[in-house]
Order: sequence, then C-alpha cells, then structure tokens
Amino acid sequence: MSASSATQHTSALPAALRSSLNGARLVALVTLVAIAWATTQVGLWRGDLINGGGWALVQQFFAAALRPELSADFLLLTLESTLVTFAYAICGLALSLVIGLAGGLLSSEVWWLSHRRPSAGRPEAPWLVVRGALAVPRAIHEVIWGLFLVRILGLDPLVAILALGIPFGAITAKVFSEILDETPRDALRGLLNSGAPAGQALLYGLLPRAFPNLLSYSFYRLECAIRSATVLGVIGAGGLGYQVLLSLQSLRYGEMWTLMAALIALSGATDWLSARVRQTLGAPARLEVNLAPGCDAQAAALARATPSSRTLLGLLAVGAALVPVSLIYIRPDFGRLLSPRAQMLLGQMAREMLPPDLSAENLARLLQLSSQTLAMSIFAIAVAGAFGIVLAQPAARQVMRARWPYWLARGWLLFCRAIPAPVWALLFLFIMFPGPLPGALAIAVHNLGILGRLIAEAVENVDQRPMRALQQGGAPPAHAFLYSTLPMTIPQSLAYIFYRWEVCARETVIVGFVGAGGLGRLLTEQLSSFDYPGLLSTLIALFALTFIVDALSAAARRPIR
Amino acid sequence: MADPIFELHKVTVRYGAFTALSEVSLQVAAGERVALIGPSGAGKSTLLGLLNGSLAPSEGQVRLLGHDPTRLSTRALRRIQRQIGTVYQQFHLVPNLSVIHNVNAGHLGRWSLARAMLSLIVPLERQGAARALANVGIADKLYARTDTLSGGQQQRVAIARVLAQDPVVILADEPISSVDPERSREIMTLLRELCDRFSKTLVVSLHAIEYAYSHCERMIGLRAGRVVFDLPAGQVAPGMIEALYRIRDADA
Repeated sequence: MSASSATQHTSALPAALRSSLNGARLVALVTLVAIAWATTQVGLWRGDLINGGGWALVQQFFAAALRPELSADFLLLTLESTLVTFAYAICGLALSLVIGLAGGLLSSEVWWLSHRRPSAGRPEAPWLVVRGALAVPRAIHEVIWGLFLVRILGLDPLVAILALGIPFGAITAKVFSEILDETPRDALRGLLNSGAPAGQALLYGLLPRAFPNLLSYSFYRLECAIRSATVLGVIGAGGLGYQVLLSLQSLRYGEMWTLMAALIALSGATDWLSARVRQTLGAPARLEVNLAPGCDAQAAALARATPSSRTLLGLLAVGAALVPVSLIYIRPDFGRLLSPRAQMLLGQMAREMLPPDLSAENLARLLQLSSQTLAMSIFAIAVAGAFGIVLAQPAARQVMRARWPYWLARGWLLFCRAIPAPVWALLFLFIMFPGPLPGALAIAVHNLGILGRLIAEAVENVDQRPMRALQQGGAPPAHAFLYSTLPMTIPQSLAYIFYRWEVCARETVIVGFVGAGGLGRLLTEQLSSFDYPGLLSTLIALFALTFIVDALSAAARRPIR
Repeated sequence: MADPIFELHKVTVRYGAFTALSEVSLQVAAGERVALIGPSGAGKSTLLGLLNGSLAPSEGQVRLLGHDPTRLSTRALRRIQRQIGTVYQQFHLVPNLSVIHNVNAGHLGRWSLARAMLSLIVPLERQGAARALANVGIADKLYARTDTLSGGQQQRVAIARVLAQDPVVILADEPISSVDPERSREIMTLLRELCDRFSKTLVVSLHAIEYAYSHCERMIGLRAGRVVFDLPAGQVAPGMIEALYRIRDADA
C-alpha cells in the first residue's frame, strides 16, 4: 500500500519526494515490500502449515537428547566421521586457496597495473575479464558441483574435494583480489619506480602487507569449508553429514544427538581457532563487507597486532602439513581425472545437454519456480536477519555484564550454524507439510547462526570510546548502548545481512534436494531422470537468479555504507 | 665530461585540463646537490616523478642518464630506474615486514623472483643490510618490525633501502616533512654525507628553506608549474624566496 501511494506521489511531486526517497529510504521501502511479497509466496498465510501428527516424533527427538548413543562402537564411528569431514574440508580448502591465489592475482587491478608502465594509462581492463570468468563457478553451489562430478568421476573422495575447491576457489579469488586491490600501494610503487620487476615488487611491496588479511580470510573459509563438507556428506560423500542423515532417516535419534554433538564440537573448535588466529593477525572481523579500506577500526586492530613472522610461518607450516595427512586419510583417486571413462561421460553429458530446453511450457515453469526460490531466499534472510541482530547483541562480549546471556546466545548461535541446512529442513518436515516454507525456515535457522556471529564480532570490534564517554556522562549502560554502539554497528549489520542474502539464494538449492520446493527440487528431479536439456535450462535460470540477487544486494549495500 | 644525469627540454605535464608543469628545461650534472623549492602544487612532485621515470611528459623531452624513457622498452626502462633511488615523504615501506626485508627490497631490481621469495623466508645479504643500517645510524634495528619504529627511524630505513639499491642518483620527495625538526636536521645531514661519501647525485624537494641553503649547492624555485629561478644557493636572495611563496602574484 505504502509503495503504490509513494510511486503516485513521486510522479506528482518529483523533486521533494524523490530526494526523501533516495538511498537508504528507498532500500528500506523496497525491502519491506519484498518481505511482504515473500511471506505470501512461501505460503506463510496458508491454513494448513502444521502437520499435527509429527509432534510425537518431535517429542521423541528431543527426549533422545538426554540419551545420546554412547557405545564404544558408535563413538568410534563418530570420531572417524568427524575426521573424514575435517579432512574433506582441509583438502577442499587447500585446492580453493591455490585457485584463489592465482585467480585473485589475475583478477586484481594491481597485478595488471604493476606489469604495465605507470605512464601507460589504462585503456583496457583485463582483470574484469578474469573476474567475469570466475563468476560462473562461483554462482553454482558446492552441492550441484558435487552431483555433477559424481556423474562424471563416480563416487570418490576426489568429488568432494573438487566440489568444495572449485566454487570456494572462485569465491576466494574474488575476495583475495579485493584485498589486494585495497592494500596500500605506496611501497609497491616505490619499488616499481626503483626498477624492480613486477613479480618481485608485488612479493615485497604488496603481498606482505596483504598477508594478514589473506590469511585471516583463509581461516574464515576454513569455517565455511567445515560446514560445506558436512553438507556434501549429506548428499553422499560420507562423514558426519552422511551419518546424521542415516540416523535421522532410520529414526535413531540417540545416535543423531551424538553425531550432532561432534558436529557442534568440530564447528565450535574451528570457529574458536579461527577467531584466535584472526585476533593475532590483527584482522578480527572475519569478513569485511562494506568497510572503507584503511578505516579506523581496521587500522587500530592492525596496529595492536604484531604477529611475528615466526607465528605466521608456523601457522603456514601446520596448515601445509595437514594437507598431505588429510589426503592420506581420505585417499582420493586423482587418476580418475584423466581416465577415458570420465572424458567419455563428460562428452556425453555435454552432448545431451545441448540445446537447453527452452520450450514455452518449461520457461513458464522456470519463471514460477525462480520466483518461488527468490521468495524463499528473501523470507529466509528476513528471519535470519531479524533474529540474528537481536541474538548478536548479548553474544558480543562487552554488551552485558552478566555472563550467562553471553554464553546462552553464543551457544544457540553455534547450535544453529553447526547443523547443516538440509538437516534443519528434515527436522522442520517432522511437523510441517512439504513445500517452500520448511526449506526457507531451514536456511533461515542455519544462516541465523552465521549472521549472529558475524554481527556479534562487528559489535565487539566497534570503537568503545563513544559508549564510555556517554557512561562517564552518567548514562546507564543500556542507554549508552542504544545511543552509541547499536547505531554505530547497524550499517555493518545490515551490510552483512544483505551480503548473506546472496548466500541464502544459493542455498535454496540444497534444501530443494530434501523436497523443499523451488528450483532445487526441480534440479533434483531432472538429475534423477537424466533430463539433461531441462537441467541445463534450470542451471541457466539459477545462474540468472544468482546474478540478480548479487546485483540487488550490492545496490542495497551502497547507500548504507 | 659525461652526459648530464638528467636533462629536461621544454617539458610540459598535464593531468586532464590541469597543467602541472609547463615548459620546464633544466639539467642536473653528476655530483650536484639540488633543492627543489616552491609552494604546494608548484609541481615539485611531478618533476620528481619525471626524474624517476614513473611519469611521462605530455610534451617536450626527458633524458634520464642519457636515455629517453618514452622510447625504452619496459625492461630497459627498469634497468635505468635501478640507477635512480627515491626517498618518499611517507616512506613507502611495508609496515608489517622486518626492517631487513624492507632494506633488501632495494635489491629487487637485481634479484630473481625465486631469490626474492627465498629471502623472505631466510633473509639474504644480511651483512649488506646491516652495513646499510649502520650507515644510517640504526644498526640495532635489523630484525625489528618496521612499524614499531619512529617516523625518523622509518625514514632512515627508507634511506638504507636506497643505499642497498646503490643508484647513481638519489631523489628525495620532501623527506623531512613527516619528522620533527631535530630529526629533520639529522636526516638532511645524513643524506648529504651519504651522497658525499658514495659520490651520488642528490635532488631533494623541500619546504624547509633553511636546509636548502645549508645542505644544497643549487636551488630551483618552482611556482605554478614553471621554473622561477635556478641558481647556486648562495645567489638566492631572501626576497626571491618570499616572492616564490607569496599568496598571489601581482602580475599573475
């Protein structure tokens, strides 16, 4: 309603209203309308949402939390599965870092400019070409990569490593190129001006300076890799995700709680380690969306941290040693990459895919499912964002004096993010009828855990002096918080939420695989019925959707910087 | 005698519509100590950019050590640039590297990529770096993290980097504008002594005129992109300095 009246007025009173509608207000208005639309699309207002028959199962499920399966055999299995998931994450991460470093350099402006004479001007931008090429693997979710590669390479740990490494590599390349481009170039320029070749100048003038940020982001990717390795397990790669799914489907809830405890321990330990390392590196924010380069908080953190080169090299050495150990543990068969069978299957698949199914009937279906997928992602991020912002405040170390809200909020956030979205979806399906809503809720709960942590860190890293100044002026802590810390962190929190929306849009696919609607469900059907032309058209639709969401998210973040 | 170190003939540099230098002609001979003076925006940094080969003239000719940089391949230009060391106002060091790596960065023009990588793990040329640091008076800081040093010390590291580079000529772009007055004198004296001892040419842009008189033998006054005077330091009268910095010229 407010939208239609506003647009009418814009045409009648252009100047006055347009100026009050631009930027942040426009984003807020569009966001509210979009959320309202999404709630109708996912069927929130339909009557028959709750499947009353499922409550007994839910009771059994929660009752089992008190009786986890603790037999020696099962504990051993849990340990093995945990190690498998961890090893997948390490190998996938290693591959993604190799791709990320090479791709990041090649898609950074600074790499190309240092290979060119400074006085040559900048007629063309080859880095944009590389960036464009990397957008394709990035837009496709790990799970889709996994299902594809399984068809070509057969069931082998290699599939999990590639499925994780390729899209993660493309994402890492994008972030690495941004880090490299935002690193101050004065030292680099100085070296180039004194006649150093580009490679050497980058090695001494730019990479050391970017290194703490690159390493810090790599540790953030480790957290993501653990979660993704779990999800890949759900689709058959083995490890914790697979065991959780098995126990859930055979209704052995006691086992499931044991496995979930392992999952939470693994995820929690990784997150804790990563936070510690990033603290030492002086780059405490795990993900820097929308921060102006060289802003105060960042500079202050970098100045505080003085990691010795011994610490850095030690971290690198441990990381490098973990890779061969993990490879030996999971034994991927790299020979499969070059096997004639794989090439034959790849060729066959490519031939069968073309041309994509562009019949009017299929296009209409794709359009309808795309809009459903979009609605799921909007609904999911709205729920995740709302609860994430609220839970993040007590989860920030300095906000509350009492310790119990901190641990409660932290624990709940960890629980939410440690359980993979497909498992959340299956849990929601206990008590809800299949459809887009349980899928959207599953993504919401999982992402709520991630968002809450991101925002809590933003709150912890904000400048504390304004808050202290207000308290010294006699304001009670809660009031001071409302007038300093909260407003100071709102832009960053919103930026995280919009950024996370991009991830949610990709993840709608994975809940689709457990029957939760949208393009993901269609993709599953097409994969199992070998409908490759249909599959390709669905992938194209997904791809387009991802691009639209990324563009909207970037546009929405701009005015709230 | 040999070619002049630098030779500019009617050089103009434009950034879009803005003219940073217009029709500047000058020569710098080996062994000279030249001060560039003039108000902010007069074109001192642009002139230094031309001299270290990072800027190309819009019009006119530049010769660096006898070569026209616009006609050189990138590789050949780099070979010339190795002979020209620059010290910057903001030091242009990598803050989170050890001092020794920042000093060794002066060798990069001669080092292969593999050698450069190796040296980041096991520092090479330790004695050379130690000597360069001893020459700038901070021998004990070899393994300190660069950003733990004071501004004056960091400028010394930047000078040590130039010593490691071992160029024919040292350019200094307002080297003392980021350090306190006492440090300023030390840095200027250090630059003069090093240039004397290792027979290097020095071109330094300065805001502090007293050092132009006390530490250089020639002064070039720039204003609005033009050379106003180019004289031995002893012949620059106080009135000429005043005219150079006057807010608005009567005839402008």
